[in-house]
Parts: sequence; C-alpha cells; structure tokens
Amino acid sequence: MPERDLLGRPVTKMETELAHIYGELKALAKRDDLPPCAERNVKKALACMWQVVNDLDLEFEQLYDLGV
Amino acid sequence: MGRPSEYWNPKNETLSRDDLRRLQHLKLTRMCEWAYAKSAFHRRRWDAASFHPDQLHTLDDLKRIPFMTRAEWMAAQAEAPPFGPLLTIPPDHAIRYHTTSGTTGRTPLRVLDSAKDWEWISEMWAYGLWGFGLRQTDVVLFAFSYGTFIGFWGAHYACEKIGCLVLSTGSATTESRVRSIIDMGVTTVCSTPTYALRMWQVAAEMGIDLARDSTVDKVVVSGEPAGSIPAVKRQLETAWGAKVGDTAGMTEVGSIMIFECRRQPGGTHIIEDHFIEETLEYEGDRAVPYGDRAERVVTSFGRGFIPLIRYRTNDLVVKLPHTTCDCGRTGDIYQGGIQGRWDDMKLVRGTNVYPRAVESIVRECAAVDEFQILLTRAGVADEICVRVELKPGRHDHWDDLCRRLQGDLADAHEGLRFKVEQAAANSLPRFELKAKRLVDQRPVAAYPAGGHHA
Repeated sequence: MPERDLLGRPVTKMETELAHIYGELKALAKRDDLPPCAERNVKKALACMWQVVNDLDLEFEQLYDLGV
Repeated sequence: MGRPSEYWNPKNETLSRDDLRRLQHLKLTRMCEWAYAKSAFHRRRWDAASFHPDQLHTLDDLKRIPFMTRAEWMAAQAEAPPFGPLLTIPPDHAIRYHTTSGTTGRTPLRVLDSAKDWEWISEMWAYGLWGFGLRQTDVVLFAFSYGTFIGFWGAHYACEKIGCLVLSTGSATTESRVRSIIDMGVTTVCSTPTYALRMWQVAAEMGIDLARDSTVDKVVVSGEPAGSIPAVKRQLETAWGAKVGDTAGMTEVGSIMIFECRRQPGGTHIIEDHFIEETLEYEGDRAVPYGDRAERVVTSFGRGFIPLIRYRTNDLVVKLPHTTCDCGRTGDIYQGGIQGRWDDMKLVRGTNVYPRAVESIVRECAAVDEFQILLTRAGVADEICVRVELKPGRHDHWDDLCRRLQGDLADAHEGLRFKVEQAAANSLPRFELKAKRLVDQRPVAAYPAGGHHA
C-alpha cells in the first residue's frame, strides 16, 4: 500500500485501509472464475471505491480494462 | 466518528490553492496521456497542433492544448455515426447512453458512460447536494422526465448515495407532483427554476400554499441561468418558503461542475479537484482576471470514455476568489452561477441585449406570472417587445407596471426603447426543461454578427 498520496502527503491509517480495499476489489475484478452475482457486484463496488480513492487523492487511473 | 462534516470531501474541498494546482496538473497529465493513447479524435487534433502530453511540465502548459469545440464534436459524430472517433474504448463497455437536450434544434451530442464514469457523475452531484445541506433524513422529489437528456439523473443517484428517500415523478402531471410534495412530506425539490415557479402557480390554483402547507425547505435548481438571478431566487424562496440553491452542469461533462453551498454567497463553487475551469476572453485565448466577464473553458477529470479537455462552453461567467464565501471551501466561485450564453446576446439597434438581464428586471415585478421577449423588424428598424402575463387579480396596476418596466429596461440598456405588452392569461408557453423566452423573428441573413438564432 502507498505510504503517500498523489500529492506526496503521508496517508492516514483510514486511507491505507480504503486503498487496501480498492486493491482487493481490483484483484477480484481481474478474476474469471467468479459467478455472475459476484463478478457484477464486485465491479459495481469497484466503481464506488474508485470514487473514494480518487476523492482522497490516493489513486487516479482508468478501470475500463477491468470492465468498470 | 466526530461531528458530521459540512463538506462531502473535507480533504479536497479545503485544499490549499497551491495543492489544488498540483493535483490538477497531475490529473491533467494522466487524462491527456489516456486521451492521446486511446482517442483518435484527440490524437489527430493534438498531432495537428504539435501538442503532446509530454509537454505538460507545469499546469501553465495547459495553454499548449488546442481548444475543443462543440462543432468539432458534432463533425466527428457525423464522420462516423453515432459516436465518432471520440471514444477511448468500444461502446460495449458503456452502461449509460445520454444526449444533450436538443432544445436548440441542433443534432444532439451523444455520450456514453461506464460504471465508473456513471458513479463519478453522481459523485459530483453529491459534492453539491451535500454542500447545500441535503442529508439522509431528506425526502427528495425530482420533477424531471427521466429521458435520454442527462438532466437530473446524476442528482437522483447522488441522493440515493447520501441516503435520502427519492421520489422520481417521471411523467407525472404538475398537479400530481404537488400532491406528492404534500402527501409524502417532501423536504427537497429538484427542478429547473422555471418549473419550480410553475409548480408554485399550479399549487396556488389547487388552493395549496407551498410555503405554508408543505415541508419543503430546500429547492435545488439547475438547467437555466435563472437560478442565480436575485429576483427569481427571491421569488422562489418566498413562494416555497425554502432556500433555493443553484447548480450547473452539462451533458458534455455528464454532471455538475459548480454548486451553491448553504451559505448562499451569491454564486456557485467550482469543484476544482475534478475540473479545471479556465475563464478566457470570449472566443479568444487571453485569461480574464477575477471580476470580469469571461467564457468558461472546462477540462474534466471524470468521464474517461469521452475525455473533455479544454472544451469551449460559450457560457458567460464572472469568476471570483473562493474567499468571497466564508464556508471554508477553496474552490473559486462563479458570481451568479452561469450568467447566460455568449451567443444569447442580441444586438438591437446597436445595443447588446441579454435575456438574463431582461429577466432580472421583469422578475422584480411580483405581479408578473410569465413573460416573453419578442424581436421583430419593422422596415429597417429592429423592435423589441416584452410580453407580460400577469398573475390572477393583479391587473389593476397595469399602467404603473408597464411604465416601470419600460423605464427600468431602457435604463439598463442605454436608453433602448422597449415595447411592453400585456398578454392574455395562459397565452405564453410554460416550460418544464430549459425555458426559451426569447423569440427572434428577424430575418437571419441580415444579422451576420451576434445573430445566432437558436
């Protein structure tokens, strides 16, 4: 997990936890063995978590290759 | 958890101006790299202008990027219908399709959004709605048709995100909407300013005084400049007994870029961690200082499906520093929101006439129910007439009202003579979406300058 945000400021414990969840969702979204109920909801959750890491300056990237 | 935040995003809404610029530079660079790599439209234009994202060493290098216009977008759509070469990824990645409103009669612009983009659209609305005071306990009614026009779609989902109870009234009649407001204990109404006035008029005809009989304490308006015209805002706030908050967005962005916070500073904050809003001379490239009229040029860090970078909006704005408001947000402010469109300006016997300026004066008269601006040509001379419909029971003082309007309109327009006519009750059009109160019947060919006839 990054120790600093996009502007180089130290991340808080709460931000580290959020970034961790985002990373976990990205990893899940890459898998091809999830049932539809998991795959689609993981992607929906990832679309929401993208807002969090973007709003908090933790990450800014595109997710289209993950279908999000 | 501490005290609930006044800000949707406390970290970035109070970011220092220097940090905001650093964040904008980083996002701009990444968005341009994405657009250059994935969008044939952008790559082609930037190659032709000898621009490459590698040249973005500082935020000031933004001005190296060529402007993007609506005309270019429409030409690209026509080149390869339905979307043109603007898309960065295939259309099958999209979950939403929307268009511009089509109120100008032109071919609408078509946009696509992925799941992430669509969530971002509601996120921007959440900045604004939270900032105006919406919370989980609110009951929100949308007076909106839920068609392909993007309108309040994002606001609807933002309210769900905040946890509000949402009433989507779709194709309901105005009477039915008024009844729902009363029966369901609605606290917040979202509509155009024109339609908010219309609902109040219909409620009165139903014997309902919304200020007295409803629980609405917030009206969120969008879609027209009128939301920040003081006379309109005052009239709406009195009619509804509620605070009126202005917002503005555009289909090309997908969401709102600006919103009025609950302090109501007389303008709208720019969401600057998600947008760069340049204020330039109209159709030029010179930056305009705070306090001067400008054209807004927007760069969005949201929708990656169709990157919007240095897009000329034609919107007339006046930017003020964030310190104009004491809410603590560091996003700068557009005084009076979007004040109109540069091409709304009409030249009448050598005098510039802006519909918003006329509306500001007409709405100062509480007896006015509806109005229309009519431009005609008699021989070689242009004529401008303001047709006024009065509220029921307010006909007694017509002569005084007519004289006052003629005087105030002339004073505000270098002595230009306005004809003021009384229109019959319910004879003027009513609007739910973007109101079109200016009718220009002059021959188009005679007005090559300032003669955009919508």
